Amino acid sequence: MPITKINIGPVHPSTHGVLRLAVYLDGDTIERVEPHIGFLHRGVEKLAETRMYMQNHPYMEKLDYIAPMAYDEAYVSTVEKALGIEVKERAMYIRVILLELQRIASHLFFVGTIGNDLGQMFTLFMWTYMDRDKVLDLLQEATGSRMFYVNMRLGGLVSDLPPDFEKRTLETLEYIDNRVKEYEAFIEKNPVFHERMKNIGILTPEKAMDLGVTGPVLRASGVQYDVRKNSPYYIYDKLHFEMKILTRGDNFSRYKMRLLEMRESIRLIREAFKMMPEGDALGMPVKLRMPPTKNKEVWISREAPKGELMMYMVADDQKPYRLAIRSPNFVNLSAIVHMSKGLRLADLFATLGTLDLVMGCVDK
Amino acid sequence: MINSIIQSFESMLNSGNILYNIAALLVYAIMIFIMLAVFGYMFGWIERKIIAKAQYRHGPTYVGKYGILQNFADLVKLFAKGSLDLDNADSLLYGTALPILISLTIFVVLILPIFPSIQATNLSFGLLLVLVVVAFMPIMIFLSGFASGNKFADISAQRSILMLLSYEIPLMLVIVAIGLVSKGYNLQSIIAMQSNSYYILLMPIGFFVFFIAMLAEIERPPFDLMEADSELIAGWITDMSPAYYALVLFLDYSKVLMSSLLISILFLGGWLGPQPIPGVAWLIIKAIIIAVIAVIIRATTFRMRIDRILRMGWMILIPLSLINLIITYIVFVG
Amino acid sequence: MKIDRKDLLSRIKSMKESGYSYLVKITAVDYKDHLTALYFIRDISKNKEELLEVDILSSDAWLPTIIKEHTSADWYEREMSEMFDIKIKGRKSGRLLLEKWDGLEGPLRKGFAWGEEYKQM
Repeated sequence: MPITKINIGPVHPSTHGVLRLAVYLDGDTIERVEPHIGFLHRGVEKLAETRMYMQNHPYMEKLDYIAPMAYDEAYVSTVEKALGIEVKERAMYIRVILLELQRIASHLFFVGTIGNDLGQMFTLFMWTYMDRDKVLDLLQEATGSRMFYVNMRLGGLVSDLPPDFEKRTLETLEYIDNRVKEYEAFIEKNPVFHERMKNIGILTPEKAMDLGVTGPVLRASGVQYDVRKNSPYYIYDKLHFEMKILTRGDNFSRYKMRLLEMRESIRLIREAFKMMPEGDALGMPVKLRMPPTKNKEVWISREAPKGELMMYMVADDQKPYRLAIRSPNFVNLSAIVHMSKGLRLADLFATLGTLDLVMGCVDK
Repeated sequence: MINSIIQSFESMLNSGNILYNIAALLVYAIMIFIMLAVFGYMFGWIERKIIAKAQYRHGPTYVGKYGILQNFADLVKLFAKGSLDLDNADSLLYGTALPILISLTIFVVLILPIFPSIQATNLSFGLLLVLVVVAFMPIMIFLSGFASGNKFADISAQRSILMLLSYEIPLMLVIVAIGLVSKGYNLQSIIAMQSNSYYILLMPIGFFVFFIAMLAEIERPPFDLMEADSELIAGWITDMSPAYYALVLFLDYSKVLMSSLLISILFLGGWLGPQPIPGVAWLIIKAIIIAVIAVIIRATTFRMRIDRILRMGWMILIPLSLINLIITYIVFVG
Repeated sequence: MKIDRKDLLSRIKSMKESGYSYLVKITAVDYKDHLTALYFIRDISKNKEELLEVDILSSDAWLPTIIKEHTSADWYEREMSEMFDIKIKGRKSGRLLLEKWDGLEGPLRKGFAWGEEYKQM
């Protein structure tokens, strides 16, 4: 049969943004996939070189608009490390709580979109979106904004948590915990879901390492790497949580990984609230002039919801000389080239969906 | 008054004069068309409301009371849009496939016994004719997709033919079992035979197989592979002009009506039911229940993959329908 | 760790054999007089990370490909090549990754200048 080339995207229902895939099909089986990225390229790395440290701050969140808090925190931490600023202890706890809430929100979004990618009529998407909204309500209470928070400041946060935040968060977490069970029942009691997800898009541990995938995708393949465990930052070494590992490395375990991580995040937040000390959590007010830099070259790694987010910065006096961002989505998307051979056309989108892409983060 | 109209209509249909027959048939066909349109409209609204309920939404609320005019507004929008001229399309085939598809659907509903007294024609092989016409529908979809010259439509057309192989045979095998029980393929007598017990009780396996195969036949989820939006955008309707798309929506709803009528006639006793409610109402109620089940399936399930559908057709549906046929033969004939 | 360009490939090979099998990121910095390419490589089981720095001249900017050792280097190399105008030798050139239509070379280099048509915008 001759090879058919079809173009999927840049505007397509299930490419999660402006991604164009040139798919070479042999019948219904995929011969080759060429992702064409860069439609959302905004040159953030170049832009960062022209602005002062804190002027760059709001740009970073626009990269991953599903989990902006992770970028917010990662950038501020990079600057803190470059300037040698200590983070206040209470602020560490609050940051961890907000980051984990953001992780829950991001994973809820993932669970919804996987329903769409498998051709379900938006039901799962609406359910998880509703619950994600509850988490966003919490983040709004804590930061004043629903989507782009710009909440971190050097050494702390822009404001402490509002009163009663703990009570409301714990209530919401209780609710989310129950809902996750419901999703699990709703999704996994459906035999079609198992058929569509199991043993498809398999990444063995060796292949996963070779392709450089990160985060839940890597852990679903059985590789034990979680930045929160392997090189703990903030208070992650004091908190008790498990690094969940699944071994099959197929679409199903990548989906399951997110549900397990949501549970762990809920556990983490509960524990962090118990251990949280009283005190001051406010960071430095935003100023253009910064104290002189101590470290010329810094890089940090963070476990963002999508995977390992690394920021590398060469510090100049008042602005970054060079800011390089290792976005987890970029490398996860690059893996689809090698994962897609021999898949069915319908499975390509299931596999693409389990990589949990945000095109803003891929293109930077 | 209604009774007298029905009686005169009946006498027109049954009179020997061929002109009277043709006139009555035309009137009946127009009636069926209007019924399909009204039902399609109402079903579209019901479907939107049910799916909205499943998704914690309100569904259409703004246009008309309870949003009942929303579909009409959509229709106006679709007809107000410009049309597309396709360069690669075979315009003759592309232009005619969809109208033929719609007339096939109307034809099927035409020969179904909807009213106890009136029927367009009471053929001894009515059920077989229905099956033959229904089997033509995926072929018309194939032609339409193939003729549009779009690659997505082309893949969707290939899928429709592939799927045809998997569900047409179990459908036929169940029909044979029904023919065995009712000693013929006359639709009227099939309903009459169910006055003691509905066929869903006599052959539950057959009902199950027929329901699933019918879902596949009319491309409802989880078998909506031809319109798989996550990979094929809209499949064979990707390049359709808006006015044609409105026809596709009409076709979609009337196919649901057609299949749910067929299922309720074959398995749920058609117009049979406790007396005070007229027979037609019973049939419509049964058909709506079947259609709502299809909607709930649509709201909750994931789409199957083409090779899995083939596997299911050959490994599950055909053995099940054979078992159904054997059991039926042993119990009712042997 | 600073290494020379000609040692890069053998160095990465020997590191991979000793367990550094996960490539985290390849990027570069333009220090005006020279470019520095950075290879972050990690040993996941021992939880160690190594940074290889390769200094190259801006005028003679090329690097050997490490795609044979780390498949994930594919996109990183292409991104770096487009952003810093560094030639990657030893691999198929491939199409442009980031859909760079306007033909601007090396936008992340410090000496990068916008074309006249952009200045009027």
